[in-house]
Amino acid sequence: MKKIGSSIKNISQVKYDEKPLEFWGPTPDEARKIMVSKPKGLKDKRTTLKDAVQKHIKDGINLGLGGFVNTRVPVAAVHEVIRHGVKDLTLSMQSNSICAELLAGAMILDPDRVSIKRAELAWWGYEIIGIAPLLRYMTSNGMIELDDYTNYGMSVRFKAAAMGIPFIPVRDHGGADMELINKGTMMECPYTGRNVYLVPACHPDVSLIHVTAADMYGNSRLMGAQCTCSELAMAGTYSIVTAEKIIPDDNIRNYPNLTEIPHPAVDSLVEVPFGAYPGACYGFHWFDMDHIKMFRAASEEFRKTGDKTKLKQYYDEYIFGCANHEEFMEKIDSETIKKIKEMDGGQPIILD
Amino acid sequence: MAEVTPMEMIAYTGSRVLQDESIVFVGTGLPIIAAMHAQYTHAPNLLMIYEAGSLAPILEMGMPLSVGDTRAARKATYLKGLCGVFELTQRGYSDFAFIGGAQIDMYGNICSTIQGEDYRQPQVRFPGSGGAGAMAANCEKTIAIMALEKRRFVKQLDFVTSIGYGDGSPDYRDKAGVMGSGPYRVITNQALFGFDEETRRMKLLEVMPGVTTQEIQDLVGFELIIPSDVKEMKLPTEEDLTLLRDKIDAEGYFLKRQVKK
Repeated sequence: MKKIGSSIKNISQVKYDEKPLEFWGPTPDEARKIMVSKPKGLKDKRTTLKDAVQKHIKDGINLGLGGFVNTRVPVAAVHEVIRHGVKDLTLSMQSNSICAELLAGAMILDPDRVSIKRAELAWWGYEIIGIAPLLRYMTSNGMIELDDYTNYGMSVRFKAAAMGIPFIPVRDHGGADMELINKGTMMECPYTGRNVYLVPACHPDVSLIHVTAADMYGNSRLMGAQCTCSELAMAGTYSIVTAEKIIPDDNIRNYPNLTEIPHPAVDSLVEVPFGAYPGACYGFHWFDMDHIKMFRAASEEFRKTGDKTKLKQYYDEYIFGCANHEEFMEKIDSETIKKIKEMDGGQPIILD
Repeated sequence: MAEVTPMEMIAYTGSRVLQDESIVFVGTGLPIIAAMHAQYTHAPNLLMIYEAGSLAPILEMGMPLSVGDTRAARKATYLKGLCGVFELTQRGYSDFAFIGGAQIDMYGNICSTIQGEDYRQPQVRFPGSGGAGAMAANCEKTIAIMALEKRRFVKQLDFVTSIGYGDGSPDYRDKAGVMGSGPYRVITNQALFGFDEETRRMKLLEVMPGVTTQEIQDLVGFELIIPSDVKEMKLPTEEDLTLLRDKIDAEGYFLKRQVKK
């Protein structure tokens, strides 16, 4: 029985299952062992997304999703994961929108190709564009197990993993129902004697991250808000990094302070311009609200009517009908590309 | 005087309660609009934190449509990630949390996770805590912002996502291990609420001109503390409305939304 340190039970109404103390993904010791076993030299990590996904994506893994809601989300990598197919996924993320929904939609269309078993998360939705219809559909039909944290909680779970420690104390979750339903636990601080909430490290088996720029070794630069990308890359036992642009190693060495993900934390690297599209990538382009709305509308129609036609059309057109992200981007008209570039305003970033 | 819509009233009242020379951690939508209005008027040195990682950005590309919007990262003074900004709140750098939610109770606890009792298979799943749970725990004062509707102001939450005063006991927050002092204001289209220091229960502070305190009580599913000196809410001037409608949310992304009856 989980020890509850606050008075949340006085006010809680929630029915839940006690969760066994287990890591959904590698334990900190397993994750360390894998890291120790890897060669660490400066090797050219460039490959194709197809090969990267083929190599790392396996049934039953914990898949970490980078970015934040609609910003620098690893859409190109998720498309490839869907084309490849993977079952019994655990998703881990702080807040995400289209990546998680795309995987959910793939499961609804063909659970023999893609399926999500559970997710550890803080938030799943589209913000201004609305709720996530497929999350709502799956939860109200009992198709997915969830483990709720705050955005800070999930972020520091990746941070703890990146630090190589098994848990981290935080000043939130306590006194809320998350204390009852998630894998965290309250304890008395050995130094102050006051209650403090501990959350376990989260090591995804594979982290998917889209970065602003990287050299061929994987040393990565993030411009704009960093979200939780550096922590997630270092938490993952393997990572697939897509980069808006590959830059010379000289440039990385001239500004080493700007490296947010060091090369040993990158296993496969792919240059994918617009790799976050229809999400945004600071310094390059804003998010494409119309495209996200179109996909969301197809999802919402399915949720309300059970009719998968439009959802299937979207996948056939934009995912299965494309061999790679380049072909996907060829389907987006040049006016749209011009508009989302203008809406970003060419924000200043250091690339050369 | 042009008619003031419910969303404009919320944004304007939100602006009024923010103080200059302070830091507010904003949520998407009305909190951003309220903080921008405050910066343009009485609080030029009010600074914003955006969840994806920015402190004190200059919003020269226009209103960010979300807290992860790349526009909100522009020309910030400090730009890291979620860990960076939430650690500012734990450390005590953030004075106000500005959050929304689906339901609120008399002690200022907020639900944004599920509707229904069963966490495993809820009737309705909401997006989840996002940053709200951490903001309510660790920013110094929590300001909740939501439309005044009976389905939102409830006696019993389905799920406590963001901590308020819990069950109202004096040591609830302390035992929960959180740092902020807790609920401060609840801003709605028809009333402004605070919290009673003794009982930590929600208290009516101001009502819209022409609305009675009983009408407000009728929209709330629990008993409010209604003092004898309830004030009238201040209405925005033409200048305030121009600022909100033409400068801040010119596209009407948030201000043109309707309140359900």
